Amino acid sequence: MAMGAPWGMTIFMAIEADRLRLAQLLSPAFPIGAFAHSQGLEAAISAGLVTDEASLRDWIEGAILHGSGRMDAIFLTLARAPGADLPALADLARAYMPSLGRAREAEELGRAFGAQMAAITGQESPLLPLPLAIGLATRGLEVGDGEVLALWLQGLAAQLVSVAVRFMPLGQSAGQRLISGLAPLIVQAAADYARLGLDDLGSCTIGADIASMTQETLEVRIFRS
Amino acid sequence: MFDLTAEPRMQRSHGRARVGFAMTGGAVRLTDLQQAGSGKAMLPRVAGPVPEVVFLNTSGGLTGGDRLDFTVAVGADARVSATTQTAERAYASTGGMAEVRVRAQVDAGGRLDWLPQETILYEASRLSRHTEIDLSGEASCLMAEAVVLGRHAMGEEPKDATLHDRRVIRRDGRPIWAESLMLDAQALRRQQSPALLGGARAMAVLALVARGAEDALAALRAVLNEPGCTAAASGWDGRLVLRVLARDGWPLRRQMARAIRVLTGRPLPRVWQMQGETR
Repeated sequence: MAMGAPWGMTIFMAIEADRLRLAQLLSPAFPIGAFAHSQGLEAAISAGLVTDEASLRDWIEGAILHGSGRMDAIFLTLARAPGADLPALADLARAYMPSLGRAREAEELGRAFGAQMAAITGQESPLLPLPLAIGLATRGLEVGDGEVLALWLQGLAAQLVSVAVRFMPLGQSAGQRLISGLAPLIVQAAADYARLGLDDLGSCTIGADIASMTQETLEVRIFRS
Repeated sequence: MFDLTAEPRMQRSHGRARVGFAMTGGAVRLTDLQQAGSGKAMLPRVAGPVPEVVFLNTSGGLTGGDRLDFTVAVGADARVSATTQTAERAYASTGGMAEVRVRAQVDAGGRLDWLPQETILYEASRLSRHTEIDLSGEASCLMAEAVVLGRHAMGEEPKDATLHDRRVIRRDGRPIWAESLMLDAQALRRQQSPALLGGARAMAVLALVARGAEDALAALRAVLNEPGCTAAASGWDGRLVLRVLARDGWPLRRQMARAIRVLTGRPLPRVWQMQGETR
């Protein structure tokens, strides 16, 4: 720190650094392998349930508002709380996994995320399902839960759009337009989920859960889940 | 002065029923039976070594403010099948939630099949249900839960039903399998969405928690072809889970019956059969 720098300025810079760290950890470029997983979207496209930009948007909105996005956001928020019982939360998050594929996704990505964090911080990270690993890693950052969740949910949208761009007739630009269009919904959902707790866990994406199970039996598949 | 703005006080129903079983002298015997209010537990005479408990809510349905508690205790090495006498109906509520709690404890080596009949949600119903099954040691359980939106024959299409249905199975205190189905007006606006219900009016889950449960996956998948249903199963780490979406309650019931038979190796509870399921 430069001598004589105003105190307020150093706090400002620390918060900006925390924001940068958050963007780094939740960036699609953070090398954990999220893009190997479709959460059943590949099976849904194969079955003709998702065929174009409109039906893709409907699928992603369902995941954010009523499915994996909502569930993972609640777990992520709970893990950010100081003093959270992470082993108990990890048991519960694993119990809530709707299929083998989703369980594998959360474990594999959580392990990869923990390995990257260990490389950055020099400290060993506990083995946690991905949402909890992110909650723990972002616990010390001076950014609100809503901001973390908004980036997380946008990351989910980007993950699913990336699946669709590779697997159905949808251009890159259409995919990016779709992600942009989801911003108001994502901001609202993130603000809502930041206030939720254990008793609010719940989902209604039975079709997506069935698709993630069907994914396991596809004869030819690109994605791991 | 009289408070003229107060809601009229409606008669609310409260019911509790509790049963317990233990393995004594080489047979499973009833060791506990308590009933209160609208809660009843019946033990029809059944052939074979597995007793069948049939829970009943004599109030005929659930509405805001109602409370219903069913409890089952299964002793070590005992096997028990439990169900409900009829479909549970959640009627329109003028205010609060109806609260249902189902609790089961299964001691080491025991097995519980919790196979209630479906829950039918009426327009403006509000139901909160907790189903908690605690296993000790090598105990195992199979649980089913089916939900139907309105009565198909009556042309009912609920748009504003609320259900928060939390289901958890723990082993030695640690959650092994959990699911919370959260249906509300916002979700029902997306009923046609393939990620949610894909237009289905009936839905069910079946979960087997047992050491090696996933070994039955191939046998279970082999029966998932009931017309009018979309179904899939997955198994991992001592869990086997089936989910079904169906056009209405009948194909759902047929699909569930076939899946349950695969996972129990036994006939369905008699009350299920009497209501038309014969395959």
